[in-house]
Amino acid sequence: MEQILELKEINKSFAGIQVLHNVNLTLHAGETVCLVGENGAGKSTLIKILSGAEKPDSGSITLFGRTWSSLHPSQAMELGVATIYQDVDLVDTLSVADNIFQGAEIRKNGIFIDRKKQEEKAGEILHALNMAIRPDVLVETLSPGQKQNLQIAKALHKKAKILIMDEPTASLGEDETKALMELIDRLKHDGIGIIYISHYMDEIFRVGDRVNVLKDGYSVSERQIGEVTQESLIREMVGRDASNYYRKGNFSTGDQALEIRGYARGNLVKNVSFTVSHGEVLGLGGLVGAGRTELVRMLFGADPKESGQMFLNGKEITPVDPKDAIKKGICFVSEDRKGEALFLDRSVKENISVAKNEGSFFLNLAKEKELVDHSIEQLSIKVFSREHDAGKLSGGNQQKVVIARWLAMDGEIYIFDEPSKGVDVGAREEIYRLMEELVKRKKIVIMVSSTMPELISMSDRIAVMKDGALSTVIPADEAQEDELLKWYMGIK
Amino acid sequence: MKNKNLKQSLFQSQWLMLLLITILISVFTAIANPRFLAINNIMNIFEQIAVSGLVAAGATILIISGNFDISVGAIIGLACCTNALLINQGVNGFVASVAAVAVCMVCGLLNGALAILFKAPSFIITLATTSVYKGIGLFATKGVIQTVYGKFDTLAFTKIGGVIPLSFVISLLGFVVVFIILNYTQIGRRIYAIGSNEKSAFLSGVRITENKLLFFMLNGFFVGIASVLLLSRVGSALPSSGAGLEMTAIGAVVIGGAPISGGQGSAVGTFFGVLLLGLISNVLNILGVNPYLQEIASGVIIILSLGISALRFKVLSR
Repeated sequence: MEQILELKEINKSFAGIQVLHNVNLTLHAGETVCLVGENGAGKSTLIKILSGAEKPDSGSITLFGRTWSSLHPSQAMELGVATIYQDVDLVDTLSVADNIFQGAEIRKNGIFIDRKKQEEKAGEILHALNMAIRPDVLVETLSPGQKQNLQIAKALHKKAKILIMDEPTASLGEDETKALMELIDRLKHDGIGIIYISHYMDEIFRVGDRVNVLKDGYSVSERQIGEVTQESLIREMVGRDASNYYRKGNFSTGDQALEIRGYARGNLVKNVSFTVSHGEVLGLGGLVGAGRTELVRMLFGADPKESGQMFLNGKEITPVDPKDAIKKGICFVSEDRKGEALFLDRSVKENISVAKNEGSFFLNLAKEKELVDHSIEQLSIKVFSREHDAGKLSGGNQQKVVIARWLAMDGEIYIFDEPSKGVDVGAREEIYRLMEELVKRKKIVIMVSSTMPELISMSDRIAVMKDGALSTVIPADEAQEDELLKWYMGIK
Repeated sequence: MKNKNLKQSLFQSQWLMLLLITILISVFTAIANPRFLAINNIMNIFEQIAVSGLVAAGATILIISGNFDISVGAIIGLACCTNALLINQGVNGFVASVAAVAVCMVCGLLNGALAILFKAPSFIITLATTSVYKGIGLFATKGVIQTVYGKFDTLAFTKIGGVIPLSFVISLLGFVVVFIILNYTQIGRRIYAIGSNEKSAFLSGVRITENKLLFFMLNGFFVGIASVLLLSRVGSALPSSGAGLEMTAIGAVVIGGAPISGGQGSAVGTFFGVLLLGLISNVLNILGVNPYLQEIASGVIIILSLGISALRFKVLSR
């Protein structure tokens, strides 16, 4: 088959951080290439370069035998490259036919749009693609799957030869996913080349002819689908075995130094008591809405409570507000990183030092710089400089900034609410290592987690909450995922 | 690459752009009318911007923290009246001025307290308190102008070395104080933190209520000093004495590069914003432009600077 696309040695960096290193990608007519990799591996950037939304720093793009150093969005479209996004490309308040012919309307007398003819032709196009969509209805009445089909129809009408699908099944139901797979088969048969991005293994093996793995901006491999297995793909994506989840050592002293006694507020949190030892990670498990976040926010003094006391080594330290909590050595990493942890439009420096600076009236800027540089190095936060806006970092680096803020406080008690939420696998492991470092230094750690493997591997004991009450505390090495789930749902 | 860095740093600081514009305007005006460069005229500009400068310095703190006080015009009117009434009662000018500053700080505090208590945007609350403060001023003066001619003009007419107006030096000192607060103190970091993300600030151990009240009071302090300068220069007080100053101040802060949503901005930027506004009005005078058209010009300047800000962000995000 004829090769229609070749991306060769593409390099791209943003603000001094290279996100693509000599990446290659080829595509033949009638072929589906799956592009896989973790969050932040560079897939989206590569796609943006192909669709003209970003310019590469170097490298070449060869389309149908002609080579370019970069593309313009309209140029990419003319050359037959179409990206199928979720929703964004359609006008909800126009009809299906209007959307297909948008920008190239069929006219009557050169002025008025010929609705009837448009609908007729749109009907033919949709029918030919085996799509059950009526051309005269408004787009807003379509299902997500139909909208996606419509985008594909529109792209094909504009003579697209290469379709880029970025997580196309993310908002589709089972039937719609199946229908999409069948459509892709037909498109391939018609000689359309497809670049397919997905996290779902079964889809990759269903539609893919070849798989291209990206990791940290490097092309790791490009193989025929027959040469790979799920395990080998995951290994190439993360660079290690999937079964090998992070294993935390045991550093608990068993002194039960921290005592949480009788925390309660209405129906949200009901009389919760437990103890945690120095060097121990206590995991808080449960279904979403079980009251775990509410509980830890109360522990930190961020939310009001009806009752509850906290004792450390027998001395009461119940905080009245976050400032008081921090003074007493309690640190809290919120689950809502962007909403209530970071200052997105402020520098990494200010984000890290904000809690530390609450100590003295005049700032010691030299000391602050030293602290921040040390943090950036210690946590290997990928930044251009300490003056970089926190909002421009990736999820993993943002989380590291938040953790750096609290490491700088050298607290006694660390509370993590969903520490690895929205963090890619590589950074996740680094965050686990930091947490382990804390318990090595005999800190007390409480961790809310909705990820079972994380909860089981990172905790020493797991406390399960259900409907605001603490239902059980079990040692993590005895915990099984199915057993835990039964506790979550109250079957046990 | 080096070229790009230069472009970056130029676009990064709004004040550099403003300085450039200031110089450009000055050069063109000086060519059109050499009288512009006379020491007298330049000192005149400085004198003109002394009062609005102090108000803008205070507004910088509030706007960065994500708050507004648009009642400052009315507060200045009230403070001027208080000051003048006291002086006419025979109270010592310094004591009366301290009282005026205190009035401003109390009014600012009240604005902050109401905004926090009712969880209302400070913009709306201060819209309401504007008429309250104006009303108090009218009631206290019975609507009669309070003149202090000859009794309270030392501040306004003192010139350091016979050249530099003392009022401008005081205003400049105000900017230095705000600069130090913003860049070298914990309060400064709190101002940026609260303006950038209140929830994050709270969870980082910043007490929101106390600090917001402090910001409003700080703003009141600068407004108070401005009211003293204003009374000294004008020699008479009306409840409407400070009318319009709030908009000049907000305009200057925005020109200086602070977004209305807070979280960013600088004392230096605001200073150049004030200077630019003062310069433009002086230039238009010197060039003999119709005073009505001058009003239009100051509005256009604010719009233009918003355009420059937008352009800056576009270049930076590339």
